[in-house]
Amino acid sequence: MWETFLRKVYVVGIGLTNVGRFYERSLRDLASEALIKALDDVGNITPEGMVVSNMLSSLIEQENLASLIADYSGLRGISGFKVEAACGSGGAAILAAYSLVSSGLMDIVAVVGVEKLSERPTPEVTRGLAYAADADYEIPYGVTFSGLNALVMRYYMSKYGVKREEIAVWPVLMHENGYKNPYAQLRMRITIDDVLKSPVIADPIRLYDSCPLSDGAAALILASEDIARKLNDTPVLIAGVGNALDSTDITSRFELDTFLASRLSAERAYRMSKLGPKDVDVAELHDAYSINGILTLEDVGFAPKGQGAKLLSEGRFRPGDKPVINPSGGLKSRGHPVGATGVYQVCEVVMQIRGDFPGIKVPCDVGLTQNIGGVGSNISTVILKRGD
Amino acid sequence: MINTSFQRLWRLKDALLGLIGTRCLDCGFTAYPPKKSCPKCRSRNTKTVELGRVGKVVSYTVINVPMSGFEKMTPITIALVDVGGCIILTQLTGVRPEEVYVGMEVEATIRRSAETIDGYIPYIIKFKPVQ
Repeated sequence: MWETFLRKVYVVGIGLTNVGRFYERSLRDLASEALIKALDDVGNITPEGMVVSNMLSSLIEQENLASLIADYSGLRGISGFKVEAACGSGGAAILAAYSLVSSGLMDIVAVVGVEKLSERPTPEVTRGLAYAADADYEIPYGVTFSGLNALVMRYYMSKYGVKREEIAVWPVLMHENGYKNPYAQLRMRITIDDVLKSPVIADPIRLYDSCPLSDGAAALILASEDIARKLNDTPVLIAGVGNALDSTDITSRFELDTFLASRLSAERAYRMSKLGPKDVDVAELHDAYSINGILTLEDVGFAPKGQGAKLLSEGRFRPGDKPVINPSGGLKSRGHPVGATGVYQVCEVVMQIRGDFPGIKVPCDVGLTQNIGGVGSNISTVILKRGD
Repeated sequence: MINTSFQRLWRLKDALLGLIGTRCLDCGFTAYPPKKSCPKCRSRNTKTVELGRVGKVVSYTVINVPMSGFEKMTPITIALVDVGGCIILTQLTGVRPEEVYVGMEVEATIRRSAETIDGYIPYIIKFKPVQ
């Protein structure tokens, strides 16, 4: 499968809040702001359904998010539920919403991604993020999410002889891009030296290799073809979607330097869209840590295995290249509102295709997003195309 | 304190203290943690095996920013260790972080983990340099 689908599905509206730490706003405030912006982007329509994506609302003692957000936003009575796939929740929710519309069950569905981390202390959030790994077999050792990614990073560097400075190019480029994105959390430029001298989180991962802890919400309105054309002059086609799973643990992986689920989910989305990596003008990849960005450059098909960091340090993937990677600033600079990140990525690429992204603009017809849950264990890819 | 109960660690004691994995009797793939079916060929014809207690460091990290419960143990040295064709995740002990290297030979030993929510001190397998 991943080849045929029943009805074409379009993105007709988007809405997002800034990413940051918002002590004065609650989870429902953020979600509702993004949702209402997305509904107004179309012209205040009423969706038939809503799919919410979130990972860690249990830390703030709130579940049952679809009811909470729908009711608070004036949508009591519609259908809805939450989807959870760790940091990959956003991409998974988009797949679920896509299926609802493509199947014909509903014509208009909202996707709302939201995360609210700032009201818990960092060690507690760090523990929550580690729930994406294998709780039975990894937590007794005290290994954090950064620690697991650090194990992958050192393995990759030692296998391919990649230098620390080459990987440091990733966060420098992300901050250069995100500096111009008004929605971004960390809008400052940094140098390679700043990265190499920043505090060690989990060696070899340093502070500037890591995404910040973020609050934020983003929303999409998906519609079937007939409805999309009535609602919006510039609908963006969801040309392909794909998802794949790998082990939650990293120890039983077939290869430690490949995200199998990244490659498989991208292949599924490419097959469905009849497009390939060479057709992609702009991509938003999931760089929770610099090493994730480098690995997925390779696994999505933008660089040969082991060459991602090298090509990046030689100057590839910047504005003007094809593809341009993370003009938003990625998770590094835009931030990582965990369960909302996959929805942010699609909002950003939709704006790039429509031409109204408020930061670095990339002339484009085709864009790709990839959203990762766990250490590469639950990955969704979305391919977007200018509506014809 | 780790946010888990003694009951859970008791259930896991064979794997955590005995280093138990599963080997596929059809394709030979050995997995840790144990799996119901082979991740490689999907066969259900697997058996539990005791993994080796000596191995080599494949990758390692030193955690400076801990999760809640592990503050007093920080910095924590975590390693992936190849114990005869199967990789396990473990903590290293008896070695300074700056002395660890890829390829280092290490062996299993029993050490304490962080206290559980019900006040027990669980013991788990950690690895130390081969003397």
